[in-house]
Amino acid sequence: MAQEGLLVSAFYLLVFTAVLITYRVLRGPTLPDRIVGLNTITTKVVVIIALVSVMRGEYYLIDLAIVLLMVNSVGGLILAKYMERRGAGA
Amino acid sequence: MLEVLLLLFGEAVMLFGALGILRFPDVYTRLHAATKCDTGGAMSIILYLIITMNAPALVRAKLLVLAFLIAMMNPMVSHALARGAYRYGVKPKVVVDMYAWDNP
Repeated sequence: MAQEGLLVSAFYLLVFTAVLITYRVLRGPTLPDRIVGLNTITTKVVVIIALVSVMRGEYYLIDLAIVLLMVNSVGGLILAKYMERRGAGA
Repeated sequence: MLEVLLLLFGEAVMLFGALGILRFPDVYTRLHAATKCDTGGAMSIILYLIITMNAPALVRAKLLVLAFLIAMMNPMVSHALARGAYRYGVKPKVVVDMYAWDNP
């Protein structure tokens, strides 16, 4: 089926870009670089979960994607607050 | 047939955003590329999924909620990260730093 192949190729390309950004997470010069890389990877994982739930027909995974997006945004805000406070203190 | 263009656009934006995160010289330019690729690419891919899937309407509504949440939350987190990185002490590698004019 043509549409299935399209979705599978999209899945593999998203995994490839996530692996590319892993370099920035591991070898980032500063702390904000690593945080930006982690944030981007998590959003890509949200899209990957939505793709898999449509491909396999298991629609309960969409709830998991929504919860992961919310956890990612709250974690990003907490890390930004941590950076702000640590820069002001030191 | 036309909605495949939406998926291809999302994939291209994701790929170029990843290249930008790898190749740009600074935290703020990397954040620029990351925000563009996350918001635009993810939203267009999810809109493609909404258009082409054959599923109950509740599932499509959940995907629409997911796209709406991405559009709301992702720029907010990026703004907070840029502000936190500036307060953390990372200076941008530019000639004119207009953020420092407003926030001495």
